[in-house]
Amino acid sequence: MEYSQALITGKGLTMGEALSTGGMTTFIGLAIVFGVLVILMLVLMLFKVIFYKAPAKQNAAQPAAPAPAPKAAPIPEPAVEEDEEELIAVLTAAVAASLNTSTYNLKIKSYRRVPNTRPAWNRAGLNETIANRF
Amino acid sequence: MSSTGVAALFQTGPVDAIKTIIMLAVACVLLYLAIVKKFEPLLLLPIAFGMLLTNLPMIKDSSAIMMHTEFFTDAEYMIDGKYIDVGLVCRKGGLLDLLYLGVKLGIYPPLIFVGIGCMTDFGPLIANPKSILLGAAAQFGVFFTFVGALVLSALVPSITFGVKEAASIGIIGGADGPTAIYVTKSLAPALLPAIAVAAYSYMALIPIIQPPFMKLMTTKKMRGVVMDQLRPVSKTEKIIFPIVVTIVVALIIPDAVSLVGCLMLGNLLKESGVCDRLAKTAQNELMNIVTIFLGVTVGATATASSFLSAQTLGIVLLGLVAFCFSTIGGLFLGDIMYWVTKGKVNPLIGSAGVSAVPMAARVSQVVGQKENPSNFLLMHAMGPNVAGVIGSAVAAGVFLSMFNGL
Repeated sequence: MEYSQALITGKGLTMGEALSTGGMTTFIGLAIVFGVLVILMLVLMLFKVIFYKAPAKQNAAQPAAPAPAPKAAPIPEPAVEEDEEELIAVLTAAVAASLNTSTYNLKIKSYRRVPNTRPAWNRAGLNETIANRF
Repeated sequence: MSSTGVAALFQTGPVDAIKTIIMLAVACVLLYLAIVKKFEPLLLLPIAFGMLLTNLPMIKDSSAIMMHTEFFTDAEYMIDGKYIDVGLVCRKGGLLDLLYLGVKLGIYPPLIFVGIGCMTDFGPLIANPKSILLGAAAQFGVFFTFVGALVLSALVPSITFGVKEAASIGIIGGADGPTAIYVTKSLAPALLPAIAVAAYSYMALIPIIQPPFMKLMTTKKMRGVVMDQLRPVSKTEKIIFPIVVTIVVALIIPDAVSLVGCLMLGNLLKESGVCDRLAKTAQNELMNIVTIFLGVTVGATATASSFLSAQTLGIVLLGLVAFCFSTIGGLFLGDIMYWVTKGKVNPLIGSAGVSAVPMAARVSQVVGQKENPSNFLLMHAMGPNVAGVIGSAVAAGVFLSMFNGL
């Protein structure tokens, strides 16, 4: 594109020139920006088609995912008052992570503390490993 | 006696002395904003101090002068009146002159982009590709302000913004400091300090600028929309994404590659998982060092003659216009997406297309949560937010390819 001296230096610029050049640049510029990002969007949509198959299967199995929760439900559990909400949030997240699903599909109805039957030395070893990882 | 700063202050008469004092005062106000008000202190503080250093009263031709802006802008000191005389800068230049070469040669902004790339997670964008369009819509302010700058130039005789200056001012609306500096140093180096200060100050003010527009352009029901959970994104996708983006951008707009390419290099360092040490250096030490160099030297270009003018006021005003219209552009497309998807997209994430990461996304989150306390928009807003970084880099490339070399 050719630009007049007034447009390059800004001296003696007329309103008409300012608006026409500005409008033209805005049109071309926004078209290119949208063009590039639309192409990237299409590429990303392609990503979903190519790479998203494996987790999609698990999505299909999602109706089954809530099943373990009701199973655990009948176990009676005396209410522990302290910080239940936080504990349940942690449990939901842990179950979701291990089932590779979203927390949206899970509902914790009850939980029960399982007594720790691990021998003392094993427990000490585990604690030490965890401490070392920090 | 004649070699003291006090003598230097009055060597060229009272008018210049007053200008010097005003510049020192401006530097102190910016330092106040950075330290007390916490306006992007990591950049504003070095910028303000650079401004202080460059405006200290100095005897003419003293070897103590740290910055000679004339070496970079005055045709008299340049080879053929066009090219920087690097030899002269090396022989006669002060510390800041030497460091400023990194800005002038376009080294610092891309290096900062490597660091930003390391800190950016493109996961939300990959999971929701449509949000990339919001990052494009939020570049509206850039082009709107381009027109605005030309119109202002036509209206006010003391303001002379040509297309190059208008482009540099418009890019403030990209809300991306390094991009704004990268464009300005090529197209309108004389405006660099004013544009850098305006860009970083308004970025810090995003939590104040954006919410009124967000409330104005959306209804209560729209703001309360809870969006679907994002799909999990695999490591393979995250690794391929930066490579593909670099190639696609290069094929269409090569002028954007130095910014986008470096952004993606940093991202790949992180996502590949095999360059942990490099990724850590890029996002911590390297980025911090470059930020200091960039901030101080950009501030140091703010001499009284270039900063104290009607143009600076115009830039400050237009910068605000740029931010407002970028926000409006993003929200507008957000509204359209809300209608098209029949209420599945919360339009508030549109304003996050303004690329100030992660501030703009956080604003979307906060405004959304006010309407619906159980709503978490942050991850949804990160998509448009990082798309905005790519969008403003592409807009910068458009300007550079159109006007560089005029």
